[in-house]
Amino acid sequence: MRAILRIKCTQFMRHPWTFLIFTAMAIGFALMIGGTGGNSSITVPITITDDSIRSTSIIESLQQSTAFEFKEMDQEEMEQVIEKHKAEVGVQLNEDNFQLIVGVNSFNTQLVESTIRQAYMNHSQQQNILNAANITNEEQAEALLNNMNQAVNQPIFTIDYNNFQNTETKQYNSTFQGLFGYSLFFIIYTICYNVLPILLDKKDGIWDRMILSPVKKWEMYTANLIFSFFQGYIQTVLIFSIFKFIFKVDFHEKFMSTLTLLIPYVFTIVALAIFITATVRTVQQFNAVVPIVAVSMAMIGGAFWPLEIVESPLLITLSKINPLTYGMEILKGAVLYNYSFEQLLYPISILLLMGVVMMGIGIHFMERRHI
Amino acid sequence: MLELVDLSKKFHQTYAVKNMNMFIERGEVIGLLGPNGAGKSTAISMMSSLITPTTGDVRYLHKSILKSPSPLRKVTGIVPQEIALYDDLTAEENLAFFGRIYQLKGKALKRRIADVLDVIGLTQRSKDLVKEYSGGMKRRLNIGVALLHEPELLIMDEPTVGIDPQSRTHILETVQRLNTEKNMTVIYTSHYMEEVEFLCNRIYIMDQGQLIAAGSKEELKQILSSEKIISIQVTNVKETFTHALSEHPLVNNIKMKGKEIKITVDKKANLFPILIHMTEEASIELLSIHVETPTLEDVFLHLTGRALRD
Repeated sequence: MRAILRIKCTQFMRHPWTFLIFTAMAIGFALMIGGTGGNSSITVPITITDDSIRSTSIIESLQQSTAFEFKEMDQEEMEQVIEKHKAEVGVQLNEDNFQLIVGVNSFNTQLVESTIRQAYMNHSQQQNILNAANITNEEQAEALLNNMNQAVNQPIFTIDYNNFQNTETKQYNSTFQGLFGYSLFFIIYTICYNVLPILLDKKDGIWDRMILSPVKKWEMYTANLIFSFFQGYIQTVLIFSIFKFIFKVDFHEKFMSTLTLLIPYVFTIVALAIFITATVRTVQQFNAVVPIVAVSMAMIGGAFWPLEIVESPLLITLSKINPLTYGMEILKGAVLYNYSFEQLLYPISILLLMGVVMMGIGIHFMERRHI
Repeated sequence: MLELVDLSKKFHQTYAVKNMNMFIERGEVIGLLGPNGAGKSTAISMMSSLITPTTGDVRYLHKSILKSPSPLRKVTGIVPQEIALYDDLTAEENLAFFGRIYQLKGKALKRRIADVLDVIGLTQRSKDLVKEYSGGMKRRLNIGVALLHEPELLIMDEPTVGIDPQSRTHILETVQRLNTEKNMTVIYTSHYMEEVEFLCNRIYIMDQGQLIAAGSKEELKQILSSEKIISIQVTNVKETFTHALSEHPLVNNIKMKGKEIKITVDKKANLFPILIHMTEEASIELLSIHVETPTLEDVFLHLTGRALRD
């Protein structure tokens, strides 16, 4: 078995391109589609007509917005940006009021208006408090406002917002959707093309040579499967690590759990690859079947878009027999919904069951057909 | 050493091999001859324990290998018809891999690789990738892999298909040397008659899944022993001469091709004095005369009604 693993490693070192290309593609697509979660806010151009606004809390409030990035520019530039549809809406900030310059009247326009109004209201409220306290000294005013903000941040009672985290509702995070979806999608290719050599070895007579040697048949299969498993697994670990350590994606302290929870999915895809290899007769057939299976699985299993937006009962039923569905469920469950291992046991069990069944049938077919 | 007893293999409704009986003694070179699709490769797969026969038995040292193939596998080297090598590795890496699966290690493995490279004449090219090799070199390495564990029985399935005459000669000489120097038993399948004639002590002829003849070269040629062909060449062909010849009681048949006449007669018939007399009488100059012995190709043609490479 070690001899087979050794030769596989030698061949991999000589031709790492398939692995590298699929890894790069997974990273590229995940970045393009999902981003890294660091810059998901919408840019809104602003122009300031009165310099006194700069010293108020209005600008500070706007800078704290997570949904919008307010970018200062002159009036003319702002109008050009809106004209060229690079921004839906722009804001002209005056001393006591503001003016929206609307390019596209969308839902975002209302949100921008609400955010700006809130900033002006906060500023006005602070001014009224200072006036009521009759404070004109700048230092005293700052101290008062700090005390007030502290009190606001430590309320007597707190309100728990639970509607997006409970079990009935689903969250959409484009970064993890892209990262998990494309990683799980591309390892199907990596693993399948690592199992393909079994078919080639059989066709070329290398398999027969191994059968006649003292190497046991289970060792031949195990060596091939271990190698394919690790290729797929290492690829995903590499992709996730790049997102965590280079693009600084926050895995909500579930990075190691995510890597562990990947194992059942990778195992099932190895089994699927064996099953495909056993059912096709030629390399040409294999090359035709793998993309069809991989893309169908990705579309039905929610790798390209969240499964929650799918309404067709047929597609939803099909997703139940798709390993990728459960792979996504496990990863999203761990990272986004903070599910415990017990809660993830169901999709893990389904994946393992699928893996065992496909592996069994696949190897049985291969042995019976003596390709 | 090896015996096939009533061996049959059926795929769906068709017999690839039917009721095959065969024995191979230690140190023999056995030829298995037959056209494409005759069932040679299936027979070889069964005798090397790669596929299970539908009926019948394969016995190695009088013990069936169907349930326990290990003793046979240990002493068997197989050279498949395909180039069973990794072409993105060098010859040395290929040999090292196949050596390791035969549990060769360290110095012993290195020594065997060097020996095998020497036998197949690839020492100088051992570090080259197999995909850069010529067809003949690949075939030689294909044989080399089967020799790594020093097998007692070498099964070769058409090892010279599609290669140049030089490589073919090298392979044939290598096989002959292995047999004479190491007393290696060889089962050699081919549809090249001359290879089998050159190498083999005994020959089995297969067609449509069945053995149709077996024996030494001489024994097989005896199948066509009742007649002989006398071939003569003359300066000019006269009708009176050919008419007289065909009417002669000792002559069974004549065939003319230009100035060459082939006369089929009974094996014991002495036609020479008669021929000389007849040519003198017809004022024809006799340029050459010789008796043709039947080849294995003639035997095959006689037995199957078609040429070996049809």
